[in-house]
This record gives sequence, structure tokens and C-alpha cells, in this order.
Amino acid sequence: MSKTQVKVSDERMYDIVRAPVITEKATLVGEYGQVMFKVPLDASKPEIKAAVEGLFKVEVTAVNTLRQKGKVKRFRGQLGKRSDTKKAIVTLAEGHSIDVTTGV
Amino acid sequence: MQVTETLNESLKREYKIVIPATEIDTRTTQRLEELKDQVRLPGFRPGKVPLSMMRQRYGKSVLGEVLEKAVQESITEVIDTNGLKPAMQPNVDLVGEVEDGKDLEFTMAVEVLPEIGELDFSSVALEREVAVVAAEKVDEALEDLRQRSKAHEPAEGKVAENGDMAKIDFLGKLDGEPFEGGAAEDYDLELGSGSFIPGFEDQLVGLKAGDAKTVEVSFPEDYPAEHLAGKPVLFEVTVKEIKQAIVPEIDDELAKKFGKETLDELKEAVRGDLQGEYDEVSKAKVKRKLLDALADAYSFDVPEGLVSAEFDGIWGQIQQAKEQGSLEEEDAGKSDEELTTEYRAIAERRVRLGLLLAEVGQRNEINVAQDDLNKALMREMRRYPGQEAAVINYYRNNPQAMDSLRAPVFEDKVCDFILELAKVTEKSVAVDALLADPDADEGEEMPAKKSSKKAASKKAEADAEAGDGKGEEKPKAKKTRAKKSDEASEEG
Repeated sequence: MSKTQVKVSDERMYDIVRAPVITEKATLVGEYGQVMFKVPLDASKPEIKAAVEGLFKVEVTAVNTLRQKGKVKRFRGQLGKRSDTKKAIVTLAEGHSIDVTTGV
Repeated sequence: MQVTETLNESLKREYKIVIPATEIDTRTTQRLEELKDQVRLPGFRPGKVPLSMMRQRYGKSVLGEVLEKAVQESITEVIDTNGLKPAMQPNVDLVGEVEDGKDLEFTMAVEVLPEIGELDFSSVALEREVAVVAAEKVDEALEDLRQRSKAHEPAEGKVAENGDMAKIDFLGKLDGEPFEGGAAEDYDLELGSGSFIPGFEDQLVGLKAGDAKTVEVSFPEDYPAEHLAGKPVLFEVTVKEIKQAIVPEIDDELAKKFGKETLDELKEAVRGDLQGEYDEVSKAKVKRKLLDALADAYSFDVPEGLVSAEFDGIWGQIQQAKEQGSLEEEDAGKSDEELTTEYRAIAERRVRLGLLLAEVGQRNEINVAQDDLNKALMREMRRYPGQEAAVINYYRNNPQAMDSLRAPVFEDKVCDFILELAKVTEKSVAVDALLADPDADEGEEMPAKKSSKKAASKKAEADAEAGDGKGEEKPKAKKTRAKKSDEASEEG
């Protein structure tokens, strides 16, 4: 199946790249030219690729995503659930980098 | 670190110091490493925050801290290697902007303490004025005691005289109407004491117990109660009793009243008190002369910074006095420039003496022991009778206040020390001469001296002797502290 090019509008780009993930693990993968972002649950890999390339002016070779289920929490005896999140691990082409702390 | 001396002029030194960027960088990294374990960032376990992250977050503040420390260290190093004795905090000026990856360059201006050469006090000749308590003075004091301890005893049928106590009822009427505060019963009025409006007491003289009289007086114009001021009033006075004033004889009885066994003992105590007073004055005078002599004998350069600091202090007081219009008459007519030169001279004198005394104290290891401080504290307490506890608490809770107490004590001790070495001749003088205003006779003895000089010494003295912790003591105290830290760093 050949990869299709998706068109992403500017607003959608900013929607997709919600925030960088800044944790020990995220900095660890940073060593391999990968960057981690929080993305909406409905974002697809091609969309993410297009958004990151558009916003940071870099070349993306691969996108891996994962859905993290929200924890079930009890509040005043009632069960509640934290919302699920989706993270995207974006691999950048060699020679490209994103400074995650400076923001878009 | 590169150090170049750019100025070396009498007491002023100036250095240009360059700290290379690499040194600053390694120091910053070091500091960040140290901080790593304490930093808590969400998403990272303690101690696992990557250095790049640390640098991004805390780089700026750590850099500031490192720079400050680097500057401080290089300053102490320069001072140590050059064997300087700074008089004040060195003045540091940064050259150019402070940036990451750029050499840190700054100049350091410092004033050093002057070298005070050999101190030889045996050449200082002073005259100590000593006065002996004259017998008349003792008698005067006794007479005073006698008058103060007089008692009043009821005397039947006595005609009232001045000095007697009359127990009276009175009712004052203004235009036939009694007025407020114008009546009392069984009031003990001492005739001739002047406690009532003028004329009232005089008109009671010659009355006997049981007599009644209408006293006509006018309130004085400046009487505080406005509706009465200047008004003529009638007082209906009934004399109930006349008490005669009994003035005790000067004898053993009187002595017992004051807690002494015999009259001789009382006399001795009075004499001792007076002698103590005179001794105090003569000591102060000698000290004053000593300071004068020292100021004349030792002329060394004085750090300008200290002088300006001292002068600013004085100048502030003067400006304040000017605003309140309470400037001394002597100064009121002078222009600002005249005042400036005059007080600058005073400031310089104070600093010079302060440095000299501190130096003497240091060379001869004169320390202010806790004992001396306690004594000073006691003296201070006695100045505020009834509030002893408050005074003690104040000093206990304020180490700074204690320091201000320490300064005059130290000064006294050093002066005593010098006086022991100096040639002091005793000269007995009359009591009046001893107690006379020292400036008056100085003016007579040395008419050639400029009045400013006179004023200078007067004011300097006033501060030094009052020992109010201001003025002369200030730079010295500061300096002693500075010296101590010097020694510590030299040893360490």
C-alpha cells in the first residue's frame, strides 16, 4: 500500500502538535533523533508527519503512535476516568532536530 | 585569571581582572552537577535530569551565582597576594556586558589602610588637671540635703510665714460665680513655693489657723485656661492649720536618714561623690587633650572613602538641623562651602584618630572583655532609672546595639593604655577651672588658631566623649572587624 500524501490546514497543524513530552524517557529517545509529542486521539500518522514537517520545517522519516488509556480514579467514592491520550514518537531524518523547549 | 594593576597611588589601588570564559563555564557546569540531585522536575526522577535540561532551566541564575562567587574569590585572592589591607569594601565595576561564553572582565578599586609607623607614646606629654573637693562644696551639698529633707509639723497658733505649709480650703469666684477647678478642701499649700498664681501665697502670710480671708488676685495673661487668663478673681480662703517647716540640723540624725551611721560618714560619702564627678571630668579632659595631641602628632594619609562616609554622616545631620532651623549659631552664617571644608576636616580627624586607636588596640592586644561590656551596660542602665529591664533586653536582643556599646569602651581602654605610657603630669586646679567649658579657655590660650579648628575639636570631642556609638567609633568598629577577617583569611 503506497503512502498517500495528506493535506493538513495550518490550524489543524497547531491542533495536532499539542505539546512536547518532557520526561526522562522522551529525552532518552531524543538521542536517536526522535521527538515525542502529545497529539489528539484522532490524529493519524500521515497527519502528524505533515504537521511536524510543516511547523518545524524538518524532514520526518517515521511516526510511531501509541494510545495511553486514562487511569481510573476515585473521587469522593465515585469512579472517574482520566481521558486517554495519544503520543507520537516522530523520527527525524538525519541532520534535523527540534528544540522542544522553545515552543512553536 | 589575569590581574593587572592599573593604579597605585598613595592609598588607592586599582586592578583589572579578567576571568576567561572557559573557567566560568567549568564552574557553571560544576555547580549544575551539584544542584542535580536537589532539582525536582515532573517527568524526571531526582538526580536524573539531563544536564542540557538543567542548563536550559537554571543556566541564567547559576551563571549569576557563579560570577558573583568568581568575583568575590578573585578579589580576596588579589588582596591576599598583594598583601593589601582594605579600608572598605572594594569597589567593583564590570567592564562590558556579562554574557555566556565571554570573558568576564572587571575592575576593582580599593583603598588600603595607611601604614602607621612606629608608635611612641612616651613623647606625648600631657597635663592632667586635678581638683580636690573643697570643704565648702561638701557643706553646700550637705545644706542641699538638709533642705530637701525638711519636714512640716503642725504648729498651734503660729502666724504663717513664707516657707510654712498652710492647710486651706478655698473657693474661687469669677464675677461672683464659682468656676471649675477653683475650689479645694484641706489643700496643703507651701507658702513661697510659687505653685499658685502669683500674689495668692503672699496674701496668706500673716494669717493664723482658723482665719478666713478673701484673696483678690488676677490670673496672669498667659494662663493656659483661656476663659480665666487675665481675669480678676476672688478666692474665699479658710486657713485650717499652719504647719511649720522643720529643717533638720546637720548631725548624725540627718546622716541616718541617708543610710549612714554618722555625720562624718555622710560627709565622706558626699566628698567621694563629688570627687568622682571631678575625676570623671578631669579624665575626659585628659582624653580630649590626648586625642588632640595624637591628631597633631600623627599625620598619615587617610582613606578617602572612610572620610567621605564619615562626612556624609555629619552632613546628613547638618542638613537635618538646617531644615529644622536648629543649626548651631556658629554655623548658621556660613555658606555651604565653608561648612563643607570645615566638616570635612572634622571627618578626616575622626577617621585618623579612629584608625590610630584601632591600630594601637590591635598592636597591644587590647580587647573588650565581657566584664568591661557588662560595666558599660550597667552605666547605660543607670541612665534610665526604672527601665533597667527594658534596657537590658534591648541590648540582649540587639547585637548591633551591643557593638555600639563596645566601641566607646574600646576607645576608653586604648586611651587608658596610651595614657599609661605617656608622660602625664598632674596639675591641681580650682574646681571652677576644671568644670569650666574647655572651649572657652582654649579660645583664650590659642587665639591664633582658627575657629574652625576649635569647632572641629569641640565637635569631635563631643562625639568621642559622649560615646554615643556614632561618629568616631563607627569607622573604627568597621575596621576592626575588617582586620579580624583579614587575619582569619591569612591564617586559613
